[in-house]
Amino acid sequence: MDLPLAVECKGLTKDYSHFKLQGVDLSFEQGAVMGLVGPNGAGKSTILRLVMGLLGPDAGSIRVLGHAMPDEQIAAKRNIGFISDDMRLYESETIAFHMDFIKSIFDTWDADYADILLRRFDLHKHQKVKGLSHGQRVKATLLLALARRPRLLVFDEPTTGLDPAVRKEVLDEMMNALADETRSILFSSHNTLDIEQISDYITFIYGGRIIESRNKEDFMDGWRRLRLTNMQSKPLPNLPNIKDIQQSGHLCAVTVNEYDESVPAQFNSAGQVITAIERLSLEEIFLANVKCAKAMTMMEFIQ
Amino acid sequence: MNVSIIPQLVKKDFLLVYRTLLMFALVSLSFIGILPLLHGNIPNWVLINIGFMMLLGPAATCGIVLLMKTNVFEKEKSTQPFIMSLPVSAKEFTQAKLLINLPVFTVFWLVVSAVAFYFAFGLGLFPQGAVPFVTMVFLGIFVAYTCILSVSLLFQSLPMTVLSILIFELGTSAYLWTIAFLDPVAHFVYGPVMVWNTTATTIVTVQVLVAVFAILMTLHIQGTKRDFI
Repeated sequence: MDLPLAVECKGLTKDYSHFKLQGVDLSFEQGAVMGLVGPNGAGKSTILRLVMGLLGPDAGSIRVLGHAMPDEQIAAKRNIGFISDDMRLYESETIAFHMDFIKSIFDTWDADYADILLRRFDLHKHQKVKGLSHGQRVKATLLLALARRPRLLVFDEPTTGLDPAVRKEVLDEMMNALADETRSILFSSHNTLDIEQISDYITFIYGGRIIESRNKEDFMDGWRRLRLTNMQSKPLPNLPNIKDIQQSGHLCAVTVNEYDESVPAQFNSAGQVITAIERLSLEEIFLANVKCAKAMTMMEFIQ
Repeated sequence: MNVSIIPQLVKKDFLLVYRTLLMFALVSLSFIGILPLLHGNIPNWVLINIGFMMLLGPAATCGIVLLMKTNVFEKEKSTQPFIMSLPVSAKEFTQAKLLINLPVFTVFWLVVSAVAFYFAFGLGLFPQGAVPFVTMVFLGIFVAYTCILSVSLLFQSLPMTVLSILIFELGTSAYLWTIAFLDPVAHFVYGPVMVWNTTATTIVTVQVLVAVFAILMTLHIQGTKRDFI
């Protein structure tokens, strides 16, 4: 039997006075990791909250693990573990209090795994939440989400504000959670390295719109930086997929998307000498995308 | 299987507040214990005023502290996303909050009302004719509480809840003064026989209906909310 998609959003729209999420289409199958990347205020958290049924869309549809959201959120959330950076536990209570509470709700609670996570995260059951550092709080929240063995993990900026060591612990545990091939993760992060490290799919969001959504290999493979020498100051070819140009004297760095073998040839025939073709890191792609998206928004505004 | 988690949410809230409840219960019981010692040693009108404060003070404060801790602070301290990540809808969340707040306040209110009635009429501080009016007073307090609880659940905002406390406290006082001077009520207050005339029964019925309406309206509105965080 075919498994339903982990997440399937079609034409998702959410209108606020200050912000509009517009026509978001987003889907990925169970067993995959989808990373949402975008600048602050792009709409990442709004999408995740819509997926969780915490917000209702103004238009469009959302299905999570086959359940229509937000109407079937109770059934869906039995199989979802959610963490967001603005989520807090009860300060006056211990980790054990929270573990007992979650255990009383989910019959899938794995007590052995919870104990393993406690040791791995160096947490103590009887520590009160108010005495935990930020990193420990994130780890405690992660423990509560993972030990119930959900089929889908939805994480909103899970690694924000963590030191590199804790960040690695959190990411490692997210990866461990995927050992079962039907478990999926949808997560957002400012940290492009996190997204690059564990995602199967990458979605870039800007200004409430999806700019690009592809599997990681295609996403990373589609971008190149061409270093050119333009001795005779000839004009660059007018390619629609040029996203950024940085010129310094006769030296020029051109960032392109949708790269294929015909791109260098077009530069060569325009009289440019290509000295290097470089692949981009996700951070560089992110910055180029933001710059380009900003310029497009400005153009739309002027028009 | 979709079994509701309302019992777990109520139990969680109870565990979060039981120390506070215990403290208020002890204060209330102490005050109730002190009142008989005062009876006969101070003038009756002083006992009535002090007794009213001693009985209602802890009960009302407990009700307000409880709804702040279980409801308003859930939002203010960002524990609500944690709760709403669990298999629960906005309507069930509200039902759970009602199921912790309403019974606890009702128990306090019933005990306080029973003790007040015993002192007022059992010990003869008030004439029997005041029974309908005192009933209206205590029902008025319950109605004000349900209205404050509704505002608190609907807005989950500290300023809105504080404002509603202020409005309903002043409003209830004004309302009680008004009915105290209504002739069909005032005429019998000092009489030796309680009279449940049409005015008195209508006022009591309306009070009960307002309390029920406030709760049902809250549940309805919460059930229709599409954004709940």
